[in-house]
Amino acid sequence: MKVGIPRALHYYKFFPFWKKLFDELNVEIILSSPTNKKLVEVGVMHGFGELCLPVKVYYGHALQLVEEHPDLDFLFVPRYVSELKESYWCPKWISLPDVIKILPNCPRLLNFEVNVKEFPIATAVIELGKQLGKSQSASLEAYKKAQKYYDEYLEFLRKGVSVIHALRLVLRDVSFKVPKRKSKGSIKFLLLGHAYNLFDTYVNLDFAKKLNDQDVEVITIENLPEHIFKEQVIVNKKLLNYWRHEEEIMQAIRYFLTKGRNEIDGVIFLISFACGPDSLISELIMHDMKAVGIPYLAIIIDEHSGDAGLLTRIESFTDMIKRKKQKQRAASKQKIKSTIKVS
Amino acid sequence: MLASFPNMGLSRVAFKTLVECMGVDVVLPDPTNREAIKIGVKYSPEFVCFPFKATLGDLKNALDKGADTLIMAIDCGPCRFGFYASVQERLLKEMGYKNFRLIPLDQADLLSFRWLRLIFKIGPSNRLTLYTKALKAVRFFLKKAKHLEDIQTAEGIFRAYERNQGDTTRVVNKLVKQLDETNTIQGLRAFRNVIKDTFNNMDIDKTRNPLRVGISGEIHISLEPYVNLDIRRKLGEMGVLINQSISLYDWIVHKFHLNYHRKWLEHLARPHLPMDIGGEAVWVIGEYIDTATAGFDGFVHQYPFTCMPEVTARTIITNHLQKIYDLPVIYFSFDEQSGSEGFRTRLEAFVDLLHARRDKKIEDQKISIDAYKKIAYDHYGNNFYNECVQFVQTK
Ligand code: SF4
Ligand code: SF4
Repeated sequence: MKVGIPRALHYYKFFPFWKKLFDELNVEIILSSPTNKKLVEVGVMHGFGELCLPVKVYYGHALQLVEEHPDLDFLFVPRYVSELKESYWCPKWISLPDVIKILPNCPRLLNFEVNVKEFPIATAVIELGKQLGKSQSASLEAYKKAQKYYDEYLEFLRKGVSVIHALRLVLRDVSFKVPKRKSKGSIKFLLLGHAYNLFDTYVNLDFAKKLNDQDVEVITIENLPEHIFKEQVIVNKKLLNYWRHEEEIMQAIRYFLTKGRNEIDGVIFLISFACGPDSLISELIMHDMKAVGIPYLAIIIDEHSGDAGLLTRIESFTDMIKRKKQKQRAASKQKIKSTIKVS
Repeated sequence: MLASFPNMGLSRVAFKTLVECMGVDVVLPDPTNREAIKIGVKYSPEFVCFPFKATLGDLKNALDKGADTLIMAIDCGPCRFGFYASVQERLLKEMGYKNFRLIPLDQADLLSFRWLRLIFKIGPSNRLTLYTKALKAVRFFLKKAKHLEDIQTAEGIFRAYERNQGDTTRVVNKLVKQLDETNTIQGLRAFRNVIKDTFNNMDIDKTRNPLRVGISGEIHISLEPYVNLDIRRKLGEMGVLINQSISLYDWIVHKFHLNYHRKWLEHLARPHLPMDIGGEAVWVIGEYIDTATAGFDGFVHQYPFTCMPEVTARTIITNHLQKIYDLPVIYFSFDEQSGSEGFRTRLEAFVDLLHARRDKKIEDQKISIDAYKKIAYDHYGNNFYNECVQFVQTK
């Protein structure tokens, strides 16, 4: 049995879970290639202008699988509706199977609906198993293992490992071991955004590497301790944030606004053009950042983003912060000196 | 207390009653206009959807006119709408308005009666008067909303038959004004007949055979003529009969779980989009199928630029449904840059296309135009729609 999985969108968040699940169920996974130029072109041609880039890229991946693997039994396009009672994923995630199943020559979709408002995830897994001809107990067993593996994966990320590296280990079936040489830099940034923007190095023009080249250490919200995400963010009394991923971003930001204020030197938010949730969240974050004086840069990416322009913006941003930091250091030295003198 | 709320076309008449019946004074923002939109755009996040910007402009205008209480509908998820009120409140505070309160009208599920909180907040403190007033407010609100819907329905039909261009628009304006001034229950009960009589007395040419077009889309865009460039009027004046089932009343009844029309549309849409993803996506899809089955000539889908659910609906219609149902469709995505130049040309080209298709069909099938007109199936349209159609079709 062969199941195709587009290497896009929720792949960057949930792949370890799926992989373990399918491995346990003895199903062969066929992944689309990493994002490349041709694939983006196909996706862009297929989706029209007003769609956000990540969904167009998803089209590209799905179409590649359809074209190059006519022998697929299923295409795996999960429907993530909500993972916590009070939350939703973006409307485009929710309707993803509906827009993919109508692609030309699309094989049968393997349904997997995560919708805890209606039923627990275990039920979804059993349904998934049924389509693959697996018994209920086999599915539940696989689910348990997959969940355990996924928890380990998340724990591994919290040790400060980058998602890109961790996914590589998952793909190679290698056990999780923290690399000895962790990246270090003279300054530290928090990189915000959807996983598929942050970790698809083709789409974001290898953003993290550009930062590393500038001697910047990068962390993402996956690297933060769990307790930060325990409590809901209250934007104001009237608003309960209901977008799952945005909630995580806001929780992280809340931490850096308060206790974690001195742990980072700046924040960069990668936003997809035409992304609904980000258009509002980035506004809230920008105001918060201004209020506490953390340098903040929002970068909007779309299919026309160019290398050169991006590099200039990153450089001037990091230079600005480095200068600021030097000044601060000099100032504090000065202070120490003067205090010594007085005493 | 001076209360206000953002514009959504004629709906202001109904909202006004709701608040006024509670004994609260109302100041309306100016009808949506260029200036308000410019301001909304200036202070809004750049990439937020257009209704956010338009309503922010309205709210600012209302505050400038002295309002101290703003009422804004919210709906929690999955779309951006749930964020409107709180982000807008923040923005207004930053713009320097400090002394106002913004009361969200939670319409996520009207049957949970959370919306009553609004009434408690603005109503008088004496419980007994509060209840009687609240009852009256809701009753009047629903009645007026229903009448507005009927006016909209009749407007879509009669304009295609009017002999003197502009008559229908005048009739609509007159009726809306009259409805606004009708504040007794007897008056409101009789108003349905007023609407009927006024339209039936128009000078119309019953020999015409207008094209029939269904229109649907995101609700704010669909109801606010300034932002949709008055698309329904323009189509009507090109001699097209239109039906748009989206209205404030339609939405409210839906939120009380009593809207069988919407349930029907959901049923039609289910194989293609099995759940509500925000906006009007599910119902737009249902409406497309319904309109096609009813033998209409075309379909218009309008929504704010980059609107998430509607973009999904559009994808499903273009990539799939159009191949099955073969109903021509035209899309309009509106934002602050929409100008009326290209808009008109596109509409005209669309209407020409529909005419050509209809002529060809009639010729190919060797039927008379009268027979062609009858292909509509029974379920289509609400009672009032069918009454109006019958009136214009009987000579
Ligand atoms: S969250 Fe934003 S980027 Fe992601 S699918 Fe939705 S609109 Fe697109
Ligand atoms: S339905 Fe469209 S216009 Fe309404 S909040 Fe969602 S994206 Fe914005």
